[in-house]
Amino acid sequence: MFDAILAKLRIASRRGGQPDRVSILLPFLLIAVGLGVLAWRSYNLSVRAETGSKTLARQYAGYAAEITSSRVDAAVRAELTRVSEEWQQLERRLGEPNFKELSEWIAQHDWIVTAIYVPDYDPASSIYAAEHAPHSRNDLRLTREFYTPTGTIRYTYDPQRLLTQPTVLSAIRQNPISPSAHPSKGLGIEQQAKIAFVRGQAEGLSTLEDGFAAVSQLAPPVDTFGVRAVVLMEYIGGTGWQNQRLLSLLVSLLALVLLGIGALLAWRGMRKEAETMKLRGALIANVSHELRTPLSMIRLGAETLKRAKLKEKERLDIEDQILREVLLLSHLVENVLDVARIQNQSTRALAFTPVHPRDLIRNLLTTYESWIRSKGFTCSVQIDDTIGEQMWDRDSVSRALLNLIDNAIKYSADDRAIDVVLRQNDDYVIIEVKDHGIGISSSDLAKIFDPYYRAQFSDTITRRGAGLGLTLVQQILESHGGKVEVESAAGSGSTFRLLFPRDLGGEAAGIPALGAPREAF
Amino acid sequence: MTRTITRIFIAAWVAGAVLAYADEQRCNGSARDCEQQIRQFLGGKRFLGATIRDRNPGLVVTALTPGGPASRAGLRVGDRLITCNNRTLTSATPRDFKQLMADARESGKLRMIVWRRGRYELVDAKLEPYTKEQIEKIITAHLSQSHTSSAGAQR
Repeated sequence: MFDAILAKLRIASRRGGQPDRVSILLPFLLIAVGLGVLAWRSYNLSVRAETGSKTLARQYAGYAAEITSSRVDAAVRAELTRVSEEWQQLERRLGEPNFKELSEWIAQHDWIVTAIYVPDYDPASSIYAAEHAPHSRNDLRLTREFYTPTGTIRYTYDPQRLLTQPTVLSAIRQNPISPSAHPSKGLGIEQQAKIAFVRGQAEGLSTLEDGFAAVSQLAPPVDTFGVRAVVLMEYIGGTGWQNQRLLSLLVSLLALVLLGIGALLAWRGMRKEAETMKLRGALIANVSHELRTPLSMIRLGAETLKRAKLKEKERLDIEDQILREVLLLSHLVENVLDVARIQNQSTRALAFTPVHPRDLIRNLLTTYESWIRSKGFTCSVQIDDTIGEQMWDRDSVSRALLNLIDNAIKYSADDRAIDVVLRQNDDYVIIEVKDHGIGISSSDLAKIFDPYYRAQFSDTITRRGAGLGLTLVQQILESHGGKVEVESAAGSGSTFRLLFPRDLGGEAAGIPALGAPREAF
Repeated sequence: MTRTITRIFIAAWVAGAVLAYADEQRCNGSARDCEQQIRQFLGGKRFLGATIRDRNPGLVVTALTPGGPASRAGLRVGDRLITCNNRTLTSATPRDFKQLMADARESGKLRMIVWRRGRYELVDAKLEPYTKEQIEKIITAHLSQSHTSSAGAQR
């Protein structure tokens, strides 16, 4: 699958290659959808994990507050009982309690503020004591009574100070839920709930910025107070590269980017295809025009030959004309066929044979002499006689040269002269075709080798041609291992140079076939 | 001689002042605060004027305040408490009885059945607030014990 995608990419990126297909979008779409699903799943998972740990933290906070508040309640009850037990022991030991004992008893329990002891028998001998040095002047004071065998003790105390007694504090410092064997990191919550007393807060659960807090009210007598448990939570998805949400975001971004690339390629392909279709439409119009003109000429000639009684000279002229038009027609058909082959990337074996360039040029010019002359052109030939035989495909080189001459004739100005030069330098055998025509503007120069492209002139339609000639020339030269050079400026004529590598002792065996895999040769 | 007497006097005065200061530190609310709190504590009908001991099981009256609500209602020393306000007290502790008294603080009514010399007696006692004299006595005792130096000045 990967190879196929690569191949498609290569095709898509090649300029002027096979038209791209919209189907290039498909693999990108598949990968993007896959990545999207992956990202969605990862995101979902992280959300679910977070929800789970949130629920856990909420429950944990609730349990911690409840358990701790019941523990504190028990501790407070125990403390109250302990106080009364201590007093009763004191009373039993002493018989008649007096002010000193009561003061000492208060001093022992620093949360008791004042106390009054009323004996049953003689209330007049009651004693009253206040604490030695009050720690604070808290507005909240609670009163409590307990009965001893001989009397009644009524005391006021500071509940806040009662809650800071060591026995009560030890209840609050205990971790209400024993840490589990599993590390807490996997849950994302802190195993240790932070517990503190609060005053005048409604019971219930509240959500903090980074965790949960639960408040549980204490039982009477300290019911104005509550226990608040805070369980902190950190984001479970981890940080940095371990962050699942970041990761899923990145993956979905990647999917978007891939989809974008695919869409871009497909769009380019569609545009190119549309362009090619347009050009192809133009070609059909051109070619049908091209075919009709010589055909009508041939028909006209043939009809004339058949009907009229002609002189020998006239007959020969007409025969010449027919032959010329047939040659043109076959040339055109050959061109179209070759380009079709190029388009289909099909192989066509070239026959490389020893060819003498001089003979090739002479033969060609002789064959088409009458045609060139009929257009009113003169052709001057300049040949370097030192050039020996070359391993060329005779037909295709002839066709390339003919295409260049054809172009020179088509795009000519008033000066109807064509120079054909055969020369060589150190590396190349060069065939040069020079005209004095209208030239090629620099903006067109880059495109003239594209298939179906025709330079835009005011009279492009009236000029013959299918826009395939130069494409074919380039393909042929490439198949010979050479290249085409153009030198031109608008209004000053053009020079096309065919550069063939010099045959240095029969190395033609390495020359590739026309626009096709090299081994096809 | 006079110098010695003067020295002793001064020493006694200093010691007294220190002691008085220390005494005053025992209860460091002002005398008026203490007085208010004592009055608040002793308010409400809660004076019966009887000492009740646990005879295990059961409760027995062991002492009566002369002229108190209990003696006026006809309770006698040696009475065994059977019920009080529809609660059986045959196996109760003094604490339970005091809880009953505290419960009856509003109405002040205690309807008791006691066992006296082989027969049951109905006793309707009424709880009373502590008398003014009693409260004054408690306040005075407290002030004299822990507000010695400033007691006279403050009153």
